[in-house]
Amino acid sequence: PAAAQETITWKVQSHWPGASSSYKDSLGRLKDQIEERSDGRLKLQLFEAGSLFKAQETFNAVSRGILEMGTISPSYASDKMSLAGIASGLPFAFRNVWEAAYFHQVLGFEEMLREEAAQHGVYYSTDKVYPTEMVVKEPIESWEDFTSLKIRSSGALQKFLTEAGAAASYIPGGELYTALDSGIVDGAHWGAAQGAYSMALYEIAKYHVQPALNIAGTDAIIVSQKALDKLPADLQKLVKDVLQEQFWYRTNEYQYKERVTLAKAIEEEGVKINTLPDDVQDRLVQVAQEMWDEEGKRSDNAAEALQMLKDYLGKLGYL
Amino acid sequence: MRAITAFMNGVTRLNNAIGQWVSYLVFGMFIFILLEVFLRYAFNSPTVWTNELTQLLFGAYAVLSGGYLMAHRGHVNVDLIYSMFGTRVRAVIDIFTSILFFIFTLALLWFGYDMAQESIGNWETSYSAWNPPIWPVKACIPIATALLVLQGIVKLLEDIAIACNLSYYDPEKDKVVEEDPKGEQL
Amino acid sequence: MSIEALTLLFFGSLLFFVFLGLPLAFVLGGVSVVFLYFTWGFDSFYMVASQIWSTMGSFTLVAIPLFVFMAMILERTGVAKDLYRTMHLWFGGVRGGLAIGTLVICAIFAAMVGISGAAVVAMGTIALPAMLARGYDRSMCLGVINTGGGWGILIPPSIMMILYALISGVSVGKMFAAGVLPGILLMVLTAIYILIRSNLQPHLAPALPPEERGTMREKLVALRSIALPVLIVFMVLGSIMGGITTPTEAAAMGVLGSLIAAAVYRKLDLPLLKEASVRTFKLTGMIMWILFAAHAFSAAYQSMGAQALIEGFMTHIPGGPWGIIIAMMLITFILGMVLDPVGIMLITLPVFLPIVESLGFDPIWFGILFVINMEIGYMTPPFGFNLFYLKGIVPPGITMKDIYKSVIPFVIVEIIGLAILMIFPEIVTYLPDLLF
Ligand code: NA
Ligand code: NA
Repeated sequence: PAAAQETITWKVQSHWPGASSSYKDSLGRLKDQIEERSDGRLKLQLFEAGSLFKAQETFNAVSRGILEMGTISPSYASDKMSLAGIASGLPFAFRNVWEAAYFHQVLGFEEMLREEAAQHGVYYSTDKVYPTEMVVKEPIESWEDFTSLKIRSSGALQKFLTEAGAAASYIPGGELYTALDSGIVDGAHWGAAQGAYSMALYEIAKYHVQPALNIAGTDAIIVSQKALDKLPADLQKLVKDVLQEQFWYRTNEYQYKERVTLAKAIEEEGVKINTLPDDVQDRLVQVAQEMWDEEGKRSDNAAEALQMLKDYLGKLGYL
Repeated sequence: MRAITAFMNGVTRLNNAIGQWVSYLVFGMFIFILLEVFLRYAFNSPTVWTNELTQLLFGAYAVLSGGYLMAHRGHVNVDLIYSMFGTRVRAVIDIFTSILFFIFTLALLWFGYDMAQESIGNWETSYSAWNPPIWPVKACIPIATALLVLQGIVKLLEDIAIACNLSYYDPEKDKVVEEDPKGEQL
Repeated sequence: MSIEALTLLFFGSLLFFVFLGLPLAFVLGGVSVVFLYFTWGFDSFYMVASQIWSTMGSFTLVAIPLFVFMAMILERTGVAKDLYRTMHLWFGGVRGGLAIGTLVICAIFAAMVGISGAAVVAMGTIALPAMLARGYDRSMCLGVINTGGGWGILIPPSIMMILYALISGVSVGKMFAAGVLPGILLMVLTAIYILIRSNLQPHLAPALPPEERGTMREKLVALRSIALPVLIVFMVLGSIMGGITTPTEAAAMGVLGSLIAAAVYRKLDLPLLKEASVRTFKLTGMIMWILFAAHAFSAAYQSMGAQALIEGFMTHIPGGPWGIIIAMMLITFILGMVLDPVGIMLITLPVFLPIVESLGFDPIWFGILFVINMEIGYMTPPFGFNLFYLKGIVPPGITMKDIYKSVIPFVIVEIIGLAILMIFPEIVTYLPDLLF
């Protein structure tokens, strides 16, 4: 039928700047996949971070149906989704990326997120799960080293690092490089290796700290339910299928690129891996677990998700 | 006619009073940033709240300036061609261009109100490490826009009076009042 | 409607209402709303409100009221007056000496701030009356402040460079290093222009008559007056370089310094603080409302498909690689006349950068050219933040027309600087190559 052949164009607002690897790897891939598989019936018009809406406003814009699609960090939807805190990562919960992936896709956390978002007219799909890791100028070799740190942080991790005894302050991305360079802060987290590399942080901070502060679905793709409903049934299915594949594809690819980037940073910039001493890790885990419980108090949903997480971590032998 | 004059004076006085008070917020921003620098540098203990509070103060400060500026002719314009005309022609032009002013401010009022209502509806907080309520600052957008719209209506009434030689507004008297508070002209 | 036609209409109606004298904030906002309605529908007005909310939440902008506040306090304390008296004693013998001195102060100020307008306000309140009082030509003074004040984004630290680095993926440190020599080059070129001009037309920037130039003793005594300004510079610059504050936070150090200066001059009282805060409020509010609307304007233009337009342009450029670079400069220059720099970056850079790199040009070198072009955009009529800042502080007798006219020669000097950097890219790349 003629109606099915018309071309639909969606406006898609990214929360990544154009130079960010995820802009091309995640959003570029999504665009190619959807346009190719729909034979060009559904087109995505991509907008870089901030062009139409600031990152924190994208959820609202998609929820109102002004934008058909967008990418966000779940924390930008904190006021709408009580699971946002858990989705954007409880510190020191997972130890491997696959564990977080399994939690989302097999144990049903992704479904819970989707239900919460649906109440705001949004179809939610995690883009990938990946670690957040710190870079520091001097290696952390003891608990004293850690507590004397001044760290650029944001959101829940800022609270965590503060409660753990470090001096965490928020500095906007634009001033991060100069702040780290001049010593206003001694460390920072901006994604993990790829993020630090893209912000040129390795030029001035040579120690990459592991393990990760958290591993979580920190990037998500959101679609306006209104826009989705307007599509013919086959295209609706196509979009959802592509998003589902996207999760596995990107989670895996991101891991690969992390490793490659870190290797490059070690090779080119002389970066060293700073593995936190066991006693530092133990104390951080302790602080972290107190914070988890606070997240669980946000709603029944959050409590349920937290319980599910704890059971799971118990099974893995971590609790 | 008297009612119109009273309305105009009332709105201008309201915007003046609000502007006076809001202008002092600059001290708050100054002190909080200084405090943060001091605590971080001298005691190695930055706070989670100073920068965010400063940011919130700044937001309210910036947006609430709209009506006050309008009352003081502080919104900058380009007088290249405009300055070649006499007072009356200018008033007529202003009446015409005020259409664009009202389109902008009323759209902003509508959606600013919408946004603020949603925010107040769930007592929105920032979800940062400090997590303060941000709905009061969001509510400043429709409030500030309403003040701006009111002052815009005053300006429109002035222009109509000048254009049509109506008695409810005397531009000469206004000039004296405008320049009276010392040092206030830009 | 095609994006070409939309562009003409969009910018055409902008200019139409600007020249009818409606304040810029309302022109930008109103035109955006009207066009959003026809291209995207009623609901898209939400974007306007949302852009305002986002702009209110930009931390780097907090530096604006603070630096303005600092300038307003300094102006009233007499520090500035003494500083210019000293400068006049020392350099007054040279035609144009004060203007060149002002340029040097601008460059120092630029090293303290990462944004463009703060220096324009500071120098406009401090330097403009001082130069006018000493018989300098109005146009000359306005132009010097406009151009020198804009160096804040070229001489590091610079928010614009950080933005460029974020969009292009080049190193911020290298960008900063790359900006230093071009900044000095522009300063030298502008100084040369002033020297030539003031020697051809001495009445534009008169030298101090020999009998008023003062004895060596007087000159040395007058040097005392630079102690406080130096202290303030030291507090601001020192706290950035010493790792005490970020460039935004450094603005608060500037306020602290100016309060100390006011206390030393025994001028620190309630009326001064009240007056300074009211004037700061007016100037900051004026800029913020333009920014609110400007952000809505560029978002509206983006949503209409601005990027596709630039992409289309780029496929029709003759003249090989250099033709393309020059075309890019031309496009940014033209956009710089009517759009705000952040909007221009978001629209053009995603199109330009892949082309620049595929042609084998250095993205850092291109970035510096681009930033200079943005700086020119700040002062080209009709839409330029430096112009608006200046209009906000000049005495009532000076019109927008005076300000518009004053920038023309200085824009030409900057374009010459741009050309020199294109011919000798080493000026840009020398420092980053040396340091990294
Ligand atoms: Na600068
Ligand atoms: Na311009």
